[in-house]
Amino acid sequence: MEEKQILDFVHRVSHDETLCKEVINNPDHVIMRENFSPRVAQIITRLIPHLAANQLEPLTPSLKFWF
Amino acid sequence: MNCDTHPSLNLFAAYQRMLRKRLRYFLSDLHPLLYADVVSALQEKGKLLSRSHRKVANTTFAPPSGIWSLLTLLIALLISPQHNLLLISSVSVAVEFFICALDLLDDIEDEDQTRIVRDLGPARVLNVSTTLLALAQRAILSLSQLEVAPELITRLLNTLQEVTLTATTGQHRDIQAEQRPVQDLTYEECIEIATQKAGSLTSLACRLGALCAGANDDVCQQFSELGKLLGIAHQLDNDCHDLYYLLHREDAITLSTNTEKNTRTKTDLVRGKKTLPIVLAAKVENTFQETSQSENKEQKEAYLQSLDEGILASWSICLLYRERARDCLQEIETRHSVSPALRLLLGFT
Repeated sequence: MEEKQILDFVHRVSHDETLCKEVINNPDHVIMRENFSPRVAQIITRLIPHLAANQLEPLTPSLKFWF
Repeated sequence: MNCDTHPSLNLFAAYQRMLRKRLRYFLSDLHPLLYADVVSALQEKGKLLSRSHRKVANTTFAPPSGIWSLLTLLIALLISPQHNLLLISSVSVAVEFFICALDLLDDIEDEDQTRIVRDLGPARVLNVSTTLLALAQRAILSLSQLEVAPELITRLLNTLQEVTLTATTGQHRDIQAEQRPVQDLTYEECIEIATQKAGSLTSLACRLGALCAGANDDVCQQFSELGKLLGIAHQLDNDCHDLYYLLHREDAITLSTNTEKNTRTKTDLVRGKKTLPIVLAAKVENTFQETSQSENKEQKEAYLQSLDEGILASWSICLLYRERARDCLQEIETRHSVSPALRLLLGFT
């Protein structure tokens, strides 16, 4: 299940400094090792700037105008 | 620069003129006092009569006025480009009225001090909402004057009724969740509520567009699914941005100077809204409620980190629903050519 895979991975990266560094420095390797589907891999790739920054970066693009 | 004169938004100008003309037709016999308040509601940000002015960078898409009715209209035109424009603009305007009515109810239920609530007060806002709900039905019933088959009118009204019940169920669950401890809520429950509240409304706008243009059940279902996925994504995006702006307000000042939005965000948190980022943050930090009030620096830091993680995790799920919606649109594209205007409106440029 894609949701579970993503939520688990975000949690692990947020709490495991070694994994976090690995994702930032070598994302392709981590994505291959985790056996993510292309769709999940694409989403994880978009998280890397946020994981690399000291604090959460602005979330772009925003779709806020709908609700 | 008026947001509707931005180059990318010229795509919508002719459609907006047509929709505004039809909308004014349905308002024409309202008492002047009620008319003024209804127009005021329809001038809120994003609504069809919105007069918002803003600077827009060339690379940034600013939402056009009347996004909801445009969505219905553009889908109807995608299904049947030569379809009766009076028919599809009437249905599109019905969607505009309906969404505006529910937004007003949401403002009152959430005790948001939005411009319209401040200007009119809760009693008039509630009455305008009731008027808009009646106008949505009037717009669909007007199809009988266009010699539209009664079966289609009934199906359109049925869809509207079903969605009303689904959306109000989601809203009720959301309001009641405010009184529950955050640890009680699950990821699945948050997604269910988002599906009922936001998913059902976007699904309605898409489904009515397909239905009024004569699409068969399969195609209507495809558009319902597209709308549902987009609605969930938009709701999660909204929740993530609201919390992000509140936590990182210094940064947010450069991104948003919208005080009304900030007020709404604060109200949500004070009321104890259980949005997905908050619920996921509570799963990270088991002592969430205590640490949120703590003066201890380390506990406070852990609390803020858990909120950031909740935002990032929720935003990832938002992206997942966006990708699912993109797949759904690609499936639709195997049968129908999607216009640049619709693609832009959906954010799939």
